[in-house]
This record gives sequence, structure tokens and C-alpha cells, in this order.
Amino acid sequence: MTYDSTEARGAILARLRHTLAGPRPIFRDRSEPSAPPTVPTAVTRADGDRRSLAKQFGAQLAEISGSYEILEDAAEAGERLVQLVKEWSAEMGAGAGEVPEVLSWAARALPGENLAGFLEESGISFFVPEDLHDESTRARAARAKVGLTGADAAFASTGSIVVASGRGRSRAASLLPLRHLVLLPMSRIYPTFEDWLHTLRQDQALGSYLRVSGQIVFITGPSKSADIELNITLGVHGPRAVHALIFDDAW
Amino acid sequence: MAVDVGAPYATRVRQALADDGMRTALDRATGHLKERRDRAMAEIDERRLRDEAGAVRRYAIERLPDLLEQLEANLIANGCHVHWARDAAEAVGVVLEIAREHEVGDVVKSKSMVTEEIGLNEALERSGIDVVETDLGEFIVQLAGESPSHILAPVIHKRVEDIAEIFRIRLNTPRTTSPAALCAAARRELRNEFLVADMGISGCNFAIAETGTICVITNEGNGRMVTSLPRVYVAIAGIEKVVRSAEDAVLLWQAATRNATGQNVSVYFSMSSGPRRRGDTDGPEEMHVILLDNGRSRILERGYADAALCIRCGACIDICPVYREIGGHAYGRTPYSGPIGAVLTPLLDYDIHAARDLPFASSLCGACRDVCPVKIDLPRLLLDLRSVVVERGASPVGERAAIRAYSTVMRRPAPYRALARLAGWLGPLAGLLPPLSTWKRDRGLPRFAARRFGALWRERVRDEEGAAG
Amino acid sequence: MTDNSTTRPRVALFVTCMVDTLQPGVGTAAAELLERHGVDVIFPEKQTCCGQPAYNAGYRKDAQVMARHFVDVFWPLVDEGSIDAIVAPSGSCVAMVKLQYPILFEATDEGYHWRAIQLGEVTYELTQYLVDFLGVLDTGAEFSGKIAYHPCCHLLRELRIDTQPRRLLAAMRDAEIVDLQGADECCGFGGLFALKNAEISTAMGRRKAHNLVASGAELVVMNDVSCMTHLNGILEHEGHSCRAVHIADLLNRRSESDGG
Repeated sequence: MTYDSTEARGAILARLRHTLAGPRPIFRDRSEPSAPPTVPTAVTRADGDRRSLAKQFGAQLAEISGSYEILEDAAEAGERLVQLVKEWSAEMGAGAGEVPEVLSWAARALPGENLAGFLEESGISFFVPEDLHDESTRARAARAKVGLTGADAAFASTGSIVVASGRGRSRAASLLPLRHLVLLPMSRIYPTFEDWLHTLRQDQALGSYLRVSGQIVFITGPSKSADIELNITLGVHGPRAVHALIFDDAW
Repeated sequence: MAVDVGAPYATRVRQALADDGMRTALDRATGHLKERRDRAMAEIDERRLRDEAGAVRRYAIERLPDLLEQLEANLIANGCHVHWARDAAEAVGVVLEIAREHEVGDVVKSKSMVTEEIGLNEALERSGIDVVETDLGEFIVQLAGESPSHILAPVIHKRVEDIAEIFRIRLNTPRTTSPAALCAAARRELRNEFLVADMGISGCNFAIAETGTICVITNEGNGRMVTSLPRVYVAIAGIEKVVRSAEDAVLLWQAATRNATGQNVSVYFSMSSGPRRRGDTDGPEEMHVILLDNGRSRILERGYADAALCIRCGACIDICPVYREIGGHAYGRTPYSGPIGAVLTPLLDYDIHAARDLPFASSLCGACRDVCPVKIDLPRLLLDLRSVVVERGASPVGERAAIRAYSTVMRRPAPYRALARLAGWLGPLAGLLPPLSTWKRDRGLPRFAARRFGALWRERVRDEEGAAG
Repeated sequence: MTDNSTTRPRVALFVTCMVDTLQPGVGTAAAELLERHGVDVIFPEKQTCCGQPAYNAGYRKDAQVMARHFVDVFWPLVDEGSIDAIVAPSGSCVAMVKLQYPILFEATDEGYHWRAIQLGEVTYELTQYLVDFLGVLDTGAEFSGKIAYHPCCHLLRELRIDTQPRRLLAAMRDAEIVDLQGADECCGFGGLFALKNAEISTAMGRRKAHNLVASGAELVVMNDVSCMTHLNGILEHEGHSCRAVHIADLLNRRSESDGG
């Protein structure tokens, strides 16, 4: 068999063009189609000021088995983060004096000023892998019980966050560990997906935002499956817990 | 007894109807899904969502070649390798070639109906490559040596007790019917596969032309693993999956998941725009996209582009009263079941004859049309396909003759009246004749009236005239 | 002729082949209901079948033969202005005329296509005509007992007729309308589907019968004799006492004291 992608390409496109240019309608439904919306209507809804949006975000996240806290500022969020990691490590059976390891984004990729310095002195090891295709790095990342990331945007109406892959922003941190901690400044919470997309589009930043990263992921709560007789089970591949530390960054 | 997907249609249906375990599982599941969907739809403006989602899909299909070219250019600019495949053999060939080049031994897959359509797993295994399905449902189906019976819930046909038994035999899992315990066993088993696999393969829910982005919907996170951990990532996209913009993709994502499971959105929506960038911690070193035709351009050519609008939400399947009785395997060796499957399977097949029974596997109740998020008139498509089967001479000879006789009688009042009178005289004896003998196997027999309405009316008119005169 | 008689609506009864041969009483009930509400009813005797069985089975040419016959019988009445409407005690057959005839003739016959569209515009299902056109809110019927309503698929999802029959049933004296689980799910009839896929059809019917028994209804009311025949076959075979009746029969049921 001789296969040539270019030839297949030509054949497929020619066939489609021939059909579309032909006299025969391609659709059975002959009703006049409505024009597609340039700005789609938001499917879900949320509104209010930043605090109110933060609460709606949290409520939505809680609805789908996630959890959240609203904190006054980045410093408070940092303290809470350290406390949580220590509590969880104890819960998961880490011995006394054992340093819990968090699979983390690089400090510069995390939101909140001066957070990096604070975390460094916290007694927790923040593991920021450089190359996960390296076997020992991968093995170490796979052992982490907690992942820490920021988020580029979040949506109050659904409790979703957006993370983008990049330098110091591993995909693994929000994926491999059983618990995922998200540091989320209030300024990044939009009412809906559509509001955010519209803002990016108006700033002519949408295309470049999507293309600059290898992968953008919308995350809405912990990993789950309903495959066994529609019983909801959490943490089937990704995290079983997603906890958002929302903090006010308005100043 | 399980359904043999390779058996003839009548056999498959009989096997399905006799499988009490499967029917219990289907009953439990489809009822739930319908409830969830109803609840989720009540929260939003469903009409508007359908209008917009339908318009967005139609826009894309009407501009398919242009959008595909735009998609290709952007994928390449993003660092992807793009391959075009006219049919299953070409697509499989491309995957094997990539696997050979990278000396791939282990493949992890995220649930993808298009790879079922092209028989990819079998081909990879024949070449000595280990393929692991990582969607929990599809993993179970793979362990059981079966095929998915629903595009979204592959193992919807099994009860939790059946699944527990499969885990016990194949994975040595202690006897348990706790879904959480079964899930944890699968997590352990599959986590290792993700970490060692050389290649990840996924389908594609939407391909964004404007940015060269492949979107994958999952709830479990296996889609993220497959697109992020192995060195090589291959996405296989039917050519109809292309959409204009990120806005359109996000709209359709919401429409698909709300209809599928009643969620606002799925847990994960991964948008991959190429391999890992320089300095990235993780992500594939190579990303390949295969744009697959395999009968799709022919669907447009035949004037059934409506079917190409489908976003695979499964709402029509979950609401279908026929699917609920027979499940997905009764639709045969096809990943597409329910009303959309009864349309897509014969259309994707060059020889409509092979799936000629499927367009008839519907009572045309129209429930599917009412739920479809992109407003596909499925009963209309089924009716049109039925006429194609008949025109090709693929309907049973006896049926053909009976319909011809019926229409001959019905276009002339006199023979019609004579026949009706005869039926009235025959009474219960009419039940011995072929169509009614099938009818009465599980149903009481209808009784033809001794005197038809027409006769009663004439009498009435006569009486009135008599009384008046 | 008085002025009064010219303002009375004139309706041609399209009785459907199944009513004609299986349940002529439904036709009589339909005619009486219409007459009682001031309609002049005629019955074009040459009518046979609308062609739906052949159409749904994919036999378009055969369906066209029957559809042409239908148009030939009814079109002159509409064209010469001797009737105002065609009314049928069936959602399914009306849907065939209104929605499928235009498709059937679309590519093949311009003349019939045009006439079919005109006919479709004046063709009504019985309860739709009673409520929407005649403004009937109560037929004066009574039935003491529990009734479930089964909306037939084509009536509900093709013609979008639902409130009209429910309203007339709700107005019945003494009748208790009970909730029917999965009421809007198909009963499994589906035309030739009932024979071609008999086992699936009866499985669906048994599910409906099961829900009917659970509802406690003595009667299940519907607007199509086809679904009614199928369901009665199932109910009888399964040994249930609940029976399916046509809505025209029920709405035409009047107490003895009313008789006039």
C-alpha cells in the first residue's frame, strides 16, 4: 500500500469542495440556519462584586466535591497553605519530623507577592521539577501527595479554573497528586467562561494565549468517574481533592 | 448471555433482550441520566443553547474545507505534525508508522470512539504493541474482552456485581462491590501505565481552526495523562470535528457535557496546541494530529450533513426507548449506538447493506430530536435512510410484496372495502396470517370490526334521509 | 338555507384506516362530538389510508400512491370551498399529512406538493380542533374512575399537541386523572416497527403496561387507535385489567340523564 498524506489531503479537500459547490443541498434540514453568534450567550450565570464572585466560585466548587477558603491576603493564604500541607501529611501517615513534599509550580509562577520567600522558610519541601521525562524526576513527582498551582483565571458560575502549561508550571502538579491546592487571587475570578473569553478577545490576546502554551486546561473540581453504574467515585486518575485558597489581592 | 456484536441483527436483539443483567444495568443507568439531564436543562436557557450550538456546528460544516486548511496551517505553526487519512487503513498505517519510528512498546489511550471505528487497538496489538484503555469504563470493557456499548459510558451494560467479578478475575482484586474500592484498584493499575507509556492516543472533541488546538473532554483526568505524560501524543480527529474559534469550542463543550451527564461542564477540558514548549517541565515531545475522513465526506455528498453536526453528547441514546431495551451491542460492530448510531453506522459504511437493519431499529417516537443539542432531526434521517434501503432493494421480499399489495388496495376504495369486509368476516382467524401471527406472539390480537365505519356512516346517512323524507 | 347554517363550520372527517376497520365506534364518537359542537360533518367515502405504514417503512413510491389518493379525495372539497377543515381522530395520521406529505412530494411532484401543503394547513387532530378552533372546554363527558393519559408520540412531538386533550380530560366529571410514570415515553407501537421489531416493540409495551398498572388507572386514554390497539394487545396478553381507550370514545361518553 502506498500512502501519501498530501495525496489524501488533496482528495479529501477536493471531494468536500466539490460537494459544497454542487447543486445538491448537503443538509436535510432546509430551514434557514441562524447565524452563529460572534459572542456566544453565557450558558451559566454569576454576578456581583469580587467578594460575591469569590463566594459563588467557592459554592460551585463545593457543589462538585471541591472545597475552598476565602482569605484576606496573600500572606494569610501562604500561612494557611503551610498549615494545610502539614495537616494533610500527618493524615496521610507521614512520620513526625518527616518533611512533606509538595509537587509545585515554581514560586515565580505562583500568585502573591513575597510568597516564595515565606514558603521557603516553612519547613516544607516544594519540589519544582525541571523535566518530567527524566525518569528519576518522574518517579519523585509521582510520589508527591500534594500538588500546588496557581490559576490564570477562574469562573464563579461553575467553580472552574484555568491552568496553562509552561516553564515552571508543570501539568503534573494539578494532575498526579491526590490533592491539588490552588492559589487563587480574587482578581482572576470572572463571572463566566464567556466573560473571560470576551475580555481576551477584545484585548486581542485570545489567540496568543491559547497558542503560547502547549496545553491549557479547564479544571472543574476533583477527578471523577460515573462509569460504575453511575456511582460517582472521586480521584479516579487525577486529584481526589481540589482545594482553592482564594485571597483578596485588591490593593 | 452477552451479545455477540458480530452476529446478525435479529440474533443480537434476541440475545440483548434475554440478557437480564444487562437490562437491569441499562434500566438503572438510563433513568438516572435522563433525570440528571432534565434537572441541568431546567437551570439554563436550553432553547438558546440549542440555537447557538446548532448554528455554530452548521457554520463549521458549511465551511469544512476552509476551516480544515486553517486548522492544519495553525497546527503546523504550533509545531504539530498533521496527517490526512482517507480511510481506516490509512489512519491505522499512520499510527503504526509513528509507533515504529519511536520504538513504541506501550500505548495509553483515552476513550475515543473514532479509534474504535477504525479498529486501532487490534492493529496495534497485532504489531506487538501493548494498548491500555484508561477511561475507567473502557478499561473494564477491555478487561472483559468486549467493546463499548455507549459512546460515553462504555460499560453502562454491566452491573456493579459484574464489574467486581471482572476485577477479581483479571486484577486479583479482593471481592468487593464498592465502586470506590474498584476505582482505587483501577487507579493503582493505570497510574503505572501512564508513567511508563511511550505514546498517548486520544480522539478529539473539537479542533479549533483559528488557533490549531485539539480539545479533549474527560472527567477522570485520563485525557490529561494521555496528552501530557508520554513522549509522543497522537490525536485522531474526524474531519467534522473542526470548529471556528475557542468561543465556539467552549460553547459546544458546555452543550455536550450538560446533555451528557447533567454537569455544568466536565471536570477537565484539555486544549492542546502542540508539543511541550522549550523549557516546559512536561508534555509530549511530539504531537501528531490525524485528520480522518473514513466516510465523512460521503455523508455530506449524500446530503446527510445533519448527522455530521453531532457532538457526541449521547443525549439521544440515553432517552431512546429502543436503546434502553437492547443496549449498544445490539447495534453491532460499531461504536455508535442509539438513534445517532442507527444513522451514522450505515452512513459511514460504504455498503449501506451491511447495517440495513439499523435505520429500522426505532419507533420514530421523536424523543431524540427533542433533546439533541444541535437540533439534528434524527427521525427524519432514519426515515430517509429507510427509503434508501428500500430503493436499493435491500428490504425483505415478502415485506416488499405486502406493501405493494397494500398500496394497490388502498388507492382504490372498492377493493379496500372488500378487504376490510373480509377481515371483519375472518375475525380471529385473521390472526393466522403472517403479519398478525407475528403480532400475536406477545400481544392479544386486534379484532377487525364486523362492520367498518364507512358502512355505519352510510347507514346513518340513509336513516337521516329516511327520517327527513 | 338559513344564514345560521352557512356559518356552521363544515368538516370532512378523515377517519383513518385503523379506525375504519378496527374501531369504527371511534369514528362515530368523533363525528358526534363535532356535530354536538355545531359542526356539519361529512365523510368522504372514497378515503382509505394516508400511506403512513408504507412511508415509515421506507416505501416512498407506494406511500405516494396512497398519498395521491388522499389528496385526490380531499383536495377537491377544499378547493371548491365545500369544507373548512379536515379532522382526524389521530395524531399520527395528521402528522403524516401535515409534515410528511410535503417531504414525500417535494422532489417528485410539484402539483401534489403544492396541494399537499394547502391540505396540511386545514388538517387538524380532533382534540386540537375541538379546543383551538371550536373553543370547546368541556364536552360534558363523565366517567367515574381513574384515568391515565398517554400522549402519543406523533401527537406530542410532531404536532406539539398536549394541553388540548389534557384540558378536555380534566373537565370530565367524576374522573380522577392519575399520574403515569414515563407517560411521554413511547408505547412501542411505531407502525411497522411493531412487526419488524416485534420483540423490542412488546418489551417497550410491557414497560408501559407495568407503569399503567402501578398508576392504578382503570383506563388509559390516548389519541391514536394504533397505539391503543398495541397496548390493549399487551395488557390483555399480560392479564391486566386496565384497558386503552380512544379519547373520542371517552369524551363522547355522556350520562343517561343528559341524553337528549
